[in-house]
Amino acid sequence: MLSVEVEDGTNTLTKVSGLIRRKGFHVRAISVGPSQVPGRFRMTLAIDSGHAEADQVRKQLERLIEVISVEDLTGHELHSRELVVATVSAKEVAHLTERGAKVLGAGPDGTTIEFTGDASEVSDFVDDLASHGIVDVVRSGPVVMRRTA
Amino acid sequence: MVLEALEREGVEFIFGYPGGANLPIYQHLPKYPKLRHILVRHEQGAAHMADGYARACGKPGVVFATSGPGALNLVTGLCTAYMDSVPMIAITGQVVSTQLGRDAFQESDVIGATSSVTKHSYLVTKIEQLPRVIHEAFHIATTGRPGPVLIDICKDVQQAIAEPVTPAPVHLPGYQLNGHVRLNDARRAAEALSAAERPVILAGHGVLLSHAENQLLELAEKAGAPVGTTLLGIGAFPVNHPLALHMTGFMGTGWNLKAVQNSDLLMMVGMRIDDRVTAKLAEFAPKVKTFIHIDIDGSEMGKNVRPDIELVADARQALEAMLPHIGKLDEGRGRWLAQIDAWREEHPLRYTHSNGHLQPQDVLIDMYKRCRSEAVVVADVGQNQIWAALWWNYDRPGLFINSGGAGTMGFALPAAIGAKFGRPDLPVWCVAGEGGFVMTAQELSVAVEHQLDIKIVLLNNFSLGMVRQFQDDFYGGVRSHVDLTHMPDFVKLAEAYGLPSRRVDTLAEVGPAMDEAERTKGPFLIDFHIDPEANVYPIVPLGKGLNDFWEHPEID
Repeated sequence: MLSVEVEDGTNTLTKVSGLIRRKGFHVRAISVGPSQVPGRFRMTLAIDSGHAEADQVRKQLERLIEVISVEDLTGHELHSRELVVATVSAKEVAHLTERGAKVLGAGPDGTTIEFTGDASEVSDFVDDLASHGIVDVVRSGPVVMRRTA
Repeated sequence: MVLEALEREGVEFIFGYPGGANLPIYQHLPKYPKLRHILVRHEQGAAHMADGYARACGKPGVVFATSGPGALNLVTGLCTAYMDSVPMIAITGQVVSTQLGRDAFQESDVIGATSSVTKHSYLVTKIEQLPRVIHEAFHIATTGRPGPVLIDICKDVQQAIAEPVTPAPVHLPGYQLNGHVRLNDARRAAEALSAAERPVILAGHGVLLSHAENQLLELAEKAGAPVGTTLLGIGAFPVNHPLALHMTGFMGTGWNLKAVQNSDLLMMVGMRIDDRVTAKLAEFAPKVKTFIHIDIDGSEMGKNVRPDIELVADARQALEAMLPHIGKLDEGRGRWLAQIDAWREEHPLRYTHSNGHLQPQDVLIDMYKRCRSEAVVVADVGQNQIWAALWWNYDRPGLFINSGGAGTMGFALPAAIGAKFGRPDLPVWCVAGEGGFVMTAQELSVAVEHQLDIKIVLLNNFSLGMVRQFQDDFYGGVRSHVDLTHMPDFVKLAEAYGLPSRRVDTLAEVGPAMDEAERTKGPFLIDFHIDPEANVYPIVPLGKGLNDFWEHPEID
């Protein structure tokens, strides 16, 4: 898991993903959003590799001029959150809201809900959706911060 | 605006080719007499000329090309420079910004096509970006680990008029050079080197790029440590020095490989430790207890070999930091150097002398006598490159220019042309096989047009020699598509281009032909018809470790 601070630019995402591809790694999940510094973005990348290799990805990413800093989060205590938005055909979703889901809207075609949690909580939640008749599910990549508090 | 910026950066030469999307720049070029434009015959030639220029004189080479095919023809040249860390600025024309992405005439995604072979690249769609971009590009290309930077400029930006501005100082938060320097372990490295029983130093291109040749010599002598070089490091250490191990790696000298494989400490300076250096990685330097790696690029640490001590810095800075801490040397050092001397006797460079054919080594030995340890030698890729590397004989630092990382055939002639523009004070010799030579032979026109004093040594064996050798030895002896019998008559080709030449078939003709080449002002080509079966030795069989190197089979 890498947290990468980058310059906002048209070529940044291509450069980062192209480098990861060239070095033979696979991105399992990615999330990108503005950081607290104007003109800079934060990318969170979940990459398939052992720790030694993640170290090499970090060094290679640091070579990119668009990349300000890279933090390898592997092995650290983390706050890792993912978001899932789903529409289910069921009208009765009390079971889901009891688990922390929030209803975004309801209509004749079903109920749309959102849920946040760590990767395994979100996976369990998605499994649970099956019994409510899944119409559509959209899942985000992880947003991760080192656990200091 | 572009040309003013280039003048401000101190550019002397531009190697380029005009076309639809860079015409506005060319329209104004005659107004900038300080910028000398060299019209090439193919854009790949421009990139290699800029590369040879940069390697010869140390300043960044500048290339112009138009959009689409013009820019894409640069890709091989950019890759060659990128792999060997050569500073270069490529300025390509792009379609007008409002046409971007509409598949306009001669539009191609040059940034996308070159991202993996450039250190950085820019697409300029607004005139205001231009001064900053050009200034940054030169900064990035020439600092840290050098490399090519591409600037793709939309045609409307080239035509736009703006007040000239002096760009602000470079501010690149993602490119902090000093933040990456790590020299804390310089003392530890020096102490380990002193205390080692069987140390070996290997030097790469980084030593030449940082002009650390004197520091390397001083350190080696002080530490009593033998020094080998990579293919790109040739010229970094005098080969006739008692501590010299000459070239390492896949086709390195026997005494070098013996030393590397039996060393207990291996210090590698300014190099990437690629597969051509290590051969089979699992069998590389098995007795080493301490690996020291010095490189300016921190990402090289542990990429191929995990170092025990790492110094991330410019080679000169690192060697200077180590020098004061070289202490008392291990008592076994004398035995180690004596052992290396014995290996040098046991595994000398050998070649066939008397089978009736002209031998490439005899040609090169004659050439190197004439180089007098000062000429710039530019080699192509293949057997000619390795022979030229192994028979290198300089007793002081020198320039041996070749495409080591990318291994680009056709590099030598345009790179030699660039080198001559960069160092007009030095003789320039170009060594090539006929296969690579015809890939960029059209650049002969440039050598003739500017009457460049370049001596071309064509080692013509009527085949793709290195591929033929590999097929013979490693691919079941099947000679598949390596026969180059149908090639131009190179003497007539030279005549057609307008340069004098000679054909040489025997050893006796070598000296007189070389004399004539040296006497002749301007370019001269000698077509040496060499032994078609001559091979490169030593060589490590593909997939094997350095211990398994083969030597020349017979001695006569």
